[in-house]
Amino acid sequence: MSVSETVLYFVVTPLAIVLVITALVMLTSHGAPGGGGKRYRPGRPFEFTPVWFVSSADQLTDTEQASRKALTGGATAPAIRAGSETEGTRTRAGATGGASDRW
Amino acid sequence: MTVGEKERTLTYHPDIADSPFSTRQLLRLEQALRSADQYTGLRFSVYVGDLEEPVREHAVRLHAQLADADKAVLIAVSPNQRVLEIVTGATARKRISDREAKLAALSMVSSFSGGDLAGGIISGLDQLANHAGRG
Repeated sequence: MSVSETVLYFVVTPLAIVLVITALVMLTSHGAPGGGGKRYRPGRPFEFTPVWFVSSADQLTDTEQASRKALTGGATAPAIRAGSETEGTRTRAGATGGASDRW
Repeated sequence: MTVGEKERTLTYHPDIADSPFSTRQLLRLEQALRSADQYTGLRFSVYVGDLEEPVREHAVRLHAQLADADKAVLIAVSPNQRVLEIVTGATARKRISDREAKLAALSMVSSFSGGDLAGGIISGLDQLANHAGRG
Protein backbone atom coordinates (compact mmCIF):
# COMPACT_ATOMS: atom_id res chain seq x y z
CA MET A 1 0.00 0.00 0.00
CA SER A 2 1.48 3.32 -1.05
CA VAL A 3 1.54 6.44 1.11
CA SER A 4 -1.20 8.12 -0.93
CA GLU A 5 -3.46 5.07 -0.59
CA THR A 6 -2.90 4.96 3.17
CA VAL A 7 -3.79 8.62 3.49
CA LEU A 8 -6.91 8.08 1.36
CA TYR A 9 -8.16 5.15 3.43
CA PHE A 10 -7.26 6.31 6.93
CA VAL A 11 -7.61 10.09 6.71
CA VAL A 12 -9.80 11.18 3.83
CA THR A 13 -12.52 8.51 4.19
CA PRO A 14 -13.10 8.97 7.97
CA LEU A 15 -13.05 12.73 7.49
CA ALA A 16 -15.68 12.48 4.73
CA ILE A 17 -17.90 10.29 6.94
CA VAL A 18 -17.62 12.72 9.87
CA LEU A 19 -18.49 15.65 7.63
CA VAL A 20 -21.57 13.89 6.18
CA ILE A 21 -22.86 12.97 9.64
CA THR A 22 -22.28 16.51 10.95
CA ALA A 23 -24.16 17.97 7.99
CA LEU A 24 -27.09 15.59 8.52
CA VAL A 25 -27.32 16.39 12.24
CA MET A 26 -27.26 20.14 11.63
CA LEU A 27 -29.91 19.91 8.93
CA THR A 28 -32.35 17.81 10.96
CA SER A 29 -31.96 19.69 14.24
CA HIS A 30 -32.59 22.98 12.50
CA GLY A 31 -35.85 22.15 10.77
CA ALA A 32 -37.37 19.30 12.73
CA PRO A 33 -40.26 19.98 15.09
CA GLY A 34 -39.11 20.13 18.68
CA GLY A 35 -35.55 19.93 17.49
CA GLY A 36 -34.45 23.27 18.77
CA GLY A 37 -35.93 26.66 18.05
CA LYS A 38 -39.58 25.75 17.72
CA ARG A 39 -40.70 25.67 21.27
CA TYR A 40 -41.66 27.97 24.09
CA ARG A 41 -39.03 28.96 26.58
CA PRO A 42 -40.07 31.04 29.58
CA GLY A 43 -38.70 34.53 29.37
CA ARG A 44 -38.07 34.40 25.64
CA PRO A 45 -40.48 36.17 23.27
CA PHE A 46 -43.24 33.96 21.93
CA GLU A 47 -43.63 34.87 18.28
CA PHE A 48 -46.07 32.31 16.98
CA THR A 49 -49.40 32.94 15.31
CA PRO A 50 -52.20 32.94 17.89
CA VAL A 51 -54.10 29.70 17.59
CA TRP A 52 -57.44 28.55 18.91
CA PHE A 53 -58.12 24.85 19.32
CA VAL A 54 -61.65 23.51 19.43
CA SER A 55 -62.65 19.90 19.21
CA SER A 56 -65.37 20.34 16.61
CA ALA A 57 -66.24 22.86 13.95
CA ASP A 58 -69.79 23.45 15.21
CA GLN A 59 -68.32 25.22 18.23
CA LEU A 60 -67.63 28.23 16.07
CA THR A 61 -70.38 30.73 15.61
CA ASP A 62 -71.23 31.93 12.11
CA THR A 63 -69.64 35.32 12.57
CA GLU A 64 -66.53 33.68 13.87
CA GLN A 65 -66.27 31.38 10.88
CA ALA A 66 -66.62 34.43 8.67
CA SER A 67 -63.88 36.30 10.46
CA ARG A 68 -61.50 33.41 11.07
CA LYS A 69 -58.60 35.07 9.33
CA ALA A 70 -59.04 38.32 11.22
CA LEU A 71 -59.18 36.45 14.48
CA THR A 72 -56.08 34.38 13.94
CA GLY A 73 -54.09 37.18 12.37
CA GLY A 74 -53.37 38.81 15.68
CA ALA A 75 -54.39 39.03 19.25
CA THR A 76 -56.90 41.72 18.49
CA ALA A 77 -60.43 40.57 19.04
CA PRO A 78 -62.98 41.51 16.38
CA ALA A 79 -64.35 44.94 17.07
CA ILE A 80 -67.41 44.85 19.26
CA ARG A 81 -70.36 46.46 17.58
CA ALA A 82 -71.92 49.40 19.35
CA GLY A 83 -75.34 49.26 20.96
CA SER A 84 -77.19 46.36 22.47
CA GLU A 85 -74.54 43.78 21.70
CA THR A 86 -72.01 45.52 23.91
CA GLU A 87 -74.47 45.48 26.77
CA GLY A 88 -75.11 41.81 26.10
CA THR A 89 -71.44 41.05 26.42
CA ARG A 90 -71.31 42.96 29.65
CA THR A 91 -74.13 41.03 31.28
CA ARG A 92 -72.64 37.77 30.02
CA ALA A 93 -69.34 38.67 31.64
CA GLY A 94 -70.99 38.56 35.04
CA ALA A 95 -72.25 35.04 34.44
CA THR A 96 -68.90 33.59 33.55
CA GLY A 97 -66.55 32.10 36.08
CA GLY A 98 -63.12 30.57 36.06
CA ALA A 99 -59.70 31.50 37.31
CA SER A 100 -56.63 33.55 36.44
CA ASP A 101 -53.00 32.91 37.12
CA ARG A 102 -49.53 34.07 36.14
CA TRP A 103 -46.16 32.44 35.96
CA MET B 1 -60.00 6.58 11.90
CA THR B 2 -63.76 6.45 11.34
CA VAL B 3 -65.77 9.11 9.61
CA GLY B 4 -67.20 10.30 12.91
CA GLU B 5 -63.76 10.68 14.36
CA LYS B 6 -62.52 12.47 11.32
CA GLU B 7 -65.22 15.10 11.67
CA ARG B 8 -64.17 15.81 15.21
CA THR B 9 -60.50 16.33 14.59
CA LEU B 10 -58.87 19.70 15.13
CA THR B 11 -60.60 22.07 12.83
CA TYR B 12 -59.20 25.39 13.81
CA HIS B 13 -55.55 25.30 13.04
CA PRO B 14 -54.73 28.15 10.66
CA ASP B 15 -51.04 27.56 10.41
CA ILE B 16 -49.79 24.45 12.12
CA ALA B 17 -46.33 24.99 10.66
CA ASP B 18 -45.99 28.16 12.72
CA SER B 19 -46.79 26.50 15.99
CA PRO B 20 -44.84 26.01 19.21
CA PHE B 21 -46.17 22.45 19.34
CA SER B 22 -44.77 19.36 17.69
CA THR B 23 -47.04 17.06 15.71
CA ARG B 24 -47.09 14.60 18.58
CA GLN B 25 -48.10 17.32 21.02
CA LEU B 26 -50.84 18.51 18.68
CA LEU B 27 -52.22 14.99 18.45
CA ARG B 28 -52.21 14.62 22.23
CA LEU B 29 -53.87 18.02 22.60
CA GLU B 30 -56.55 17.06 20.12
CA GLN B 31 -57.19 13.80 21.90
CA ALA B 32 -57.35 15.54 25.29
CA LEU B 33 -59.87 18.08 23.96
CA ARG B 34 -61.99 15.42 22.34
CA SER B 35 -62.08 13.14 25.36
CA ALA B 36 -62.80 16.06 27.72
CA ASP B 37 -65.75 17.06 25.53
CA GLN B 38 -67.08 13.54 25.25
CA TYR B 39 -66.65 12.76 28.94
CA THR B 40 -68.23 15.92 30.32
CA GLY B 41 -70.61 17.07 27.62
CA LEU B 42 -69.09 20.55 27.99
CA ARG B 43 -67.28 22.38 25.21
CA PHE B 44 -63.60 22.86 25.89
CA SER B 45 -61.37 25.06 23.78
CA VAL B 46 -57.82 26.30 24.09
CA TYR B 47 -56.48 29.66 22.90
CA VAL B 48 -52.72 30.22 22.78
CA GLY B 49 -51.64 33.72 21.87
CA ASP B 50 -51.45 37.29 23.06
CA LEU B 51 -54.36 38.80 24.95
CA GLU B 52 -55.20 42.48 25.03
CA GLU B 53 -55.22 44.36 28.29
CA PRO B 54 -57.27 43.91 30.36
CA VAL B 55 -56.61 40.25 29.70
CA ARG B 56 -59.54 38.88 31.67
CA GLU B 57 -62.00 40.94 29.63
CA HIS B 58 -60.39 39.84 26.38
CA ALA B 59 -60.60 36.19 27.42
CA VAL B 60 -64.27 36.63 28.33
CA ARG B 61 -64.90 38.25 24.92
CA LEU B 62 -63.25 35.29 23.20
CA HIS B 63 -65.35 32.93 25.28
CA ALA B 64 -68.51 34.79 24.29
CA GLN B 65 -67.70 34.13 20.63
CA LEU B 66 -67.99 30.40 21.08
CA ALA B 67 -71.22 28.76 20.10
CA ASP B 68 -73.15 27.54 23.14
CA ALA B 69 -71.00 29.76 25.35
CA ASP B 70 -72.84 28.75 28.53
CA LYS B 71 -71.47 25.24 28.22
CA ALA B 72 -68.08 26.35 26.97
CA VAL B 73 -64.83 26.33 28.91
CA LEU B 74 -62.04 28.45 27.44
CA ILE B 75 -58.42 28.05 28.46
CA ALA B 76 -56.57 31.15 27.24
CA VAL B 77 -52.79 31.09 27.51
CA SER B 78 -50.63 34.09 26.70
CA PRO B 79 -46.97 33.03 26.91
CA ASN B 80 -45.67 36.55 26.24
CA GLN B 81 -47.66 38.08 29.08
CA ARG B 82 -47.23 34.91 31.14
CA VAL B 83 -50.93 34.90 31.84
CA LEU B 84 -53.41 32.06 32.03
CA GLU B 85 -57.15 32.66 32.02
CA ILE B 86 -59.77 29.96 32.44
CA VAL B 87 -63.28 31.14 31.53
CA THR B 88 -66.29 28.98 32.28
CA GLY B 89 -69.78 29.66 30.98
CA ALA B 90 -72.84 29.87 33.23
CA THR B 91 -73.69 26.16 32.92
CA ALA B 92 -70.09 25.02 32.97
CA ARG B 93 -69.50 27.05 36.14
CA LYS B 94 -71.98 24.88 38.02
CA ARG B 95 -69.89 21.82 37.14
CA ILE B 96 -66.46 23.41 37.55
CA SER B 97 -66.37 25.78 40.51
CA ASP B 98 -64.00 28.73 40.49
CA ARG B 99 -61.97 27.04 43.20
CA GLU B 100 -61.54 23.93 41.06
CA ALA B 101 -60.61 26.08 38.08
CA LYS B 102 -58.00 27.80 40.24
CA LEU B 103 -56.54 24.43 41.24
CA ALA B 104 -56.24 23.41 37.60
CA ALA B 105 -54.72 26.81 36.82
CA LEU B 106 -52.08 26.36 39.51
CA SER B 107 -50.90 23.05 38.12
CA MET B 108 -50.93 24.38 34.56
CA VAL B 109 -48.88 27.42 35.54
CA SER B 110 -46.27 25.22 37.20
CA SER B 111 -45.83 23.34 33.90
CA PHE B 112 -45.70 26.58 31.92
CA SER B 113 -42.99 28.01 34.14
CA GLY B 114 -40.93 24.96 33.26
CA GLY B 115 -41.45 25.65 29.57
CA ASP B 116 -43.94 22.82 28.99
CA LEU B 117 -46.89 24.50 27.26
CA ALA B 118 -48.51 21.40 25.78
CA GLY B 119 -48.07 19.30 28.92
CA GLY B 120 -49.61 22.01 31.08
CA ILE B 121 -52.59 22.48 28.80
CA ILE B 122 -53.24 18.75 28.52
CA SER B 123 -53.01 18.12 32.26
CA GLY B 124 -55.23 21.16 32.89
CA LEU B 125 -57.84 19.87 30.47
CA ASP B 126 -57.73 16.52 32.22
CA GLN B 127 -58.17 18.09 35.65
CA LEU B 128 -61.02 20.32 34.55
CA ALA B 129 -62.80 17.38 32.90
CA ASN B 130 -62.37 15.30 36.06
CA HIS B 131 -63.80 18.09 38.21
CA ALA B 132 -66.76 18.50 35.88
CA GLY B 133 -67.52 14.79 35.98
CA ARG B 134 -69.48 12.77 33.48
CA GLY B 135 -72.28 14.73 31.84
